[in-house]
Amino acid sequence: MDRVRRLKLLLWMPVGLGFAVTVDRFFFGLGAATHLSDATPWGLWIGFDVMSGVALAAGGFVLTATVYIFRLERFHSIVRPAVLTAFLGYVAVVAGLLFDLGLPWHIWHLIIYWNPHSPLFEVGWCVMLYLTVLTLEFFPVPAEDVSSLARVRRFLVKMRIPLVILGIALSTLHQSSLGSLFLIMPYRLYPLWYSPILPVLFFISAIALGLMMAIFESHFTAYFYRRKPETAVLASLASAARWVLILYLVVRFSDLAARGQLHDLVGSAWQVKMFWFEIVVAGLLPVVLFSISKFNRRPGWQWGTAAVGVGGIVLDRVNVGGLIDLSRGAALYLPSWQEIVTSLAIVAGAVLVFLFIIEHFRVWEERPVDPKADPKRLPELNPVGETWLGAPVIAARIKYSLAFVLAAALAFSFLANPKVEATGIVPVPAHRARGDVGKLPGISSRVSFNSSLTPSPSPASGRGGTAKRWVRAKRQKATAIPAGVLYLDGDLTGWGVTFYHQREVERNGGEKSCAICHHMNMPHDQNSGCYECHRDMYQPTDAFRHNWHASRSGANLACIQCHEAGYPRTSAQVKPCTDCHKDMIPPGATIQVSSENLVDASGEIRRLITPGSVVKINTYTAVSYVDAMHELCVGCHAQVAEREKKPEVAQCAECHKGKLNYSDTVNLLYQRTAVAGRRVVMPPPPASPGGAAMKP
Amino acid sequence: MKTAILTDTTKCIGCHLCVEACKEVNHLPNDMPRRWDMRDGLSADNWTAVIRRDDDKFVRKQCRHCLEPACVASCPVAALHKTNLGPVVYDKTRCIGCRYCMMACPYGIPRYQWDSTVPYIQKCVLCYDTRLKHGREPACTEICPTKATIFGDRDKLLGEAHQRIRQNPGKYIHRVWGEHELGGTSVLYISDVDLSFLTYGARFGEKPLPVATRPAMEAVPFTFLGVAMAMAGLRWIIGRRDKVQREEGSQEPEE
Ligand code: SF4
Ligand code: SF4
Ligand code: SF4
Repeated sequence: MDRVRRLKLLLWMPVGLGFAVTVDRFFFGLGAATHLSDATPWGLWIGFDVMSGVALAAGGFVLTATVYIFRLERFHSIVRPAVLTAFLGYVAVVAGLLFDLGLPWHIWHLIIYWNPHSPLFEVGWCVMLYLTVLTLEFFPVPAEDVSSLARVRRFLVKMRIPLVILGIALSTLHQSSLGSLFLIMPYRLYPLWYSPILPVLFFISAIALGLMMAIFESHFTAYFYRRKPETAVLASLASAARWVLILYLVVRFSDLAARGQLHDLVGSAWQVKMFWFEIVVAGLLPVVLFSISKFNRRPGWQWGTAAVGVGGIVLDRVNVGGLIDLSRGAALYLPSWQEIVTSLAIVAGAVLVFLFIIEHFRVWEERPVDPKADPKRLPELNPVGETWLGAPVIAARIKYSLAFVLAAALAFSFLANPKVEATGIVPVPAHRARGDVGKLPGISSRVSFNSSLTPSPSPASGRGGTAKRWVRAKRQKATAIPAGVLYLDGDLTGWGVTFYHQREVERNGGEKSCAICHHMNMPHDQNSGCYECHRDMYQPTDAFRHNWHASRSGANLACIQCHEAGYPRTSAQVKPCTDCHKDMIPPGATIQVSSENLVDASGEIRRLITPGSVVKINTYTAVSYVDAMHELCVGCHAQVAEREKKPEVAQCAECHKGKLNYSDTVNLLYQRTAVAGRRVVMPPPPASPGGAAMKP
Repeated sequence: MKTAILTDTTKCIGCHLCVEACKEVNHLPNDMPRRWDMRDGLSADNWTAVIRRDDDKFVRKQCRHCLEPACVASCPVAALHKTNLGPVVYDKTRCIGCRYCMMACPYGIPRYQWDSTVPYIQKCVLCYDTRLKHGREPACTEICPTKATIFGDRDKLLGEAHQRIRQNPGKYIHRVWGEHELGGTSVLYISDVDLSFLTYGARFGEKPLPVATRPAMEAVPFTFLGVAMAMAGLRWIIGRRDKVQREEGSQEPEE
């Protein structure tokens, strides 16, 4: 029985991990726990937990059909475990579904709101009905020991044949309707998988999978409970599985041929390789291995081959369920570790329940008895090797709990700071503005140029060598741009704003004017770039870095070197930065940085530029790069407009002209009149929020 | 009356006023770049987006309000439904969050609130509850300063679209996007650039997508009854054969 103990110990670990992830999933949402996205809304949980779970449970209907319909009595001994596997498989499917649904507490809506056109509606109903049927089919087994249930039991046994037939019909529908799910997305599935007969393919492979799963599960329990495996019976299952797999391969390839997709079978796309891998593992390899009659009756051989085949068909379901998604613009979907752990946990949980049931009820002709597990037996004390943890059963329980708790703790530690993940905000680091655009041919490697508007010859049109073209382009660039033009493009997308730095300097009074914009310096620096504190395009960043100041490898300051001793150590009780960094705020800086005037009551970011105001720094949060830039440019321009009694200056399109390309830059700088035609004419604000009425 | 929107991409100046108006009318919060974005501008908080192409052309993207919507056909609880007026609307009290609609939509329109613990599907609903019902046109078309996107009766707009194409030879590609493909949509486009990039990159046929599932769904009751009857019949036949064999076996001495 030691093997079982070890197995259970092993199984409790994923359950523990899964527990932690469950907390993560339900407290922070799907975005935190999965790698699903708007481009791939379905992933491993659908592909593995739901679709493969259903397919793995196919053994139930295949074997009940074999025994009760085809009356092949010699398989009788493996029907009960197969029905149990199917039952637990479906329970696992429902559990997986509860993880995957965004609103799992609405799952009962399937019963009251109907949409019979939807394959998913059919799937949902089949799960519900078949789970009921399986419960009724299996119920007589645990009821055997309870005398008060004898009548129910007798009734159910009498009902067995109708139940079996109902179960087979439901399974047929259900296995195939999982394929129907994907019929509606011909543009999403890779053509090697999409087929109008996907339901049929799913049904055939489910039968093969059911047979192989019965073999696998039989050997699995035989090994762990040290029973004699029913090798002869299983060998005939294997040969049946082989024929079904051959049928599957034939149908699949003739379908490809009929659809004219055979040319897709060669190619370098990773999906093509995946297809061949799947075909080999799910079809060819098991067929070949099951066919070698020399080894066919060896338990290990059967077990291994069944495992390969099961894995292959599961891979097929996972592929269809999300891996080979063709959705546009999407990077490859790979499940997150939380998704994988949850799937493992559900499987492990199902196996644990399975082991519990076969130990406590008569699933086999005789129950596996563990001599050591007898609670009445006195514990053995082994003074040399083992620590005594009470009776063996208790000892095992303590070990299992330990495995569970440690695994959960480990998973929790990996889930550190889930909130950031949950909101899914992508950090977009801001970058230094590229100076003197005209002199920067190397800039082209970092900014994607808009070739259609660039005066340089496009690859399609230009004759002559690449080098020649490059030189010509470079010369044009170098002459087109005046010196001192910066290109502000914090996120390096190429969509940026040209900024005539040199001219602004001249206008604002030469060198003395730096501090108007460069209101703060990094230590030992003058005129630090905006991006150095406003480090993210869209999120506020920490400009102060408290931990760096306090750490030994950083500034190595003790708390009281900044915070006044004897007071709570808050930002209120701290000496100003300028006490140490004397040159941090350059003389003449005009931007007041303080937390109060960043945002006013209505939530608007207030104008920060108040000429001549005193600089007081008591916030260490730098607003996002986008906000900082807009504040600086728009704010300053607005002030100038106000001073000079001019109409509104800041029209978005005036600065945001397009991708970096030279004709536009020149336009912007010298031909303002020429581009005025492209200005947005704002409609007058409507007096009442009415407008053009519509008569339906 | 079947309402529709016609967007003429040559008139769009990319001012994003429609996006702003949509946000205001539908109370959508500001947007942030998220991990799960498709990078086409649409998100749970942006029901419409103005895509700026590399060639400086602007194309507004929103739900197409298909005439035979795949999302509606796929939703198992009928949370999405096509109203008589044209819009495809969403009833969040029904939704179970299976995201089948997102998988099914050929234009990749529905978005999900991945960061929420009570997430809902988000997509343009043609301002059905907020404006259409009260006899007002959608916010985005009303605000558009160049009338690049207009609202009206679908047939009239189709006429208008063809007329514009006819009257400006060489300006447009000779095609009204949304007239026929996948059964047609209520959001139509005319354009001087190929708009296939708004879809999954595939060239759509004219057959509506729900048609693909229909045979499978119609076969359901027959499969069910057929399989059940076949199984019952088989059991009976095999039982009978076994019995006959056994009787014969009892008459003849066994080997
Ligand atoms: S575009 Fe997509 S979401 Fe909109 S109606 Fe069509 S299928 Fe539904
Ligand atoms: S996610 Fe909601 S709206 Fe979409 S198909 Fe599922 S239940 Fe219907
Ligand atoms: S119709 Fe309404 S919901 Fe749809 S994009 Fe326009 S404003 Fe937004």
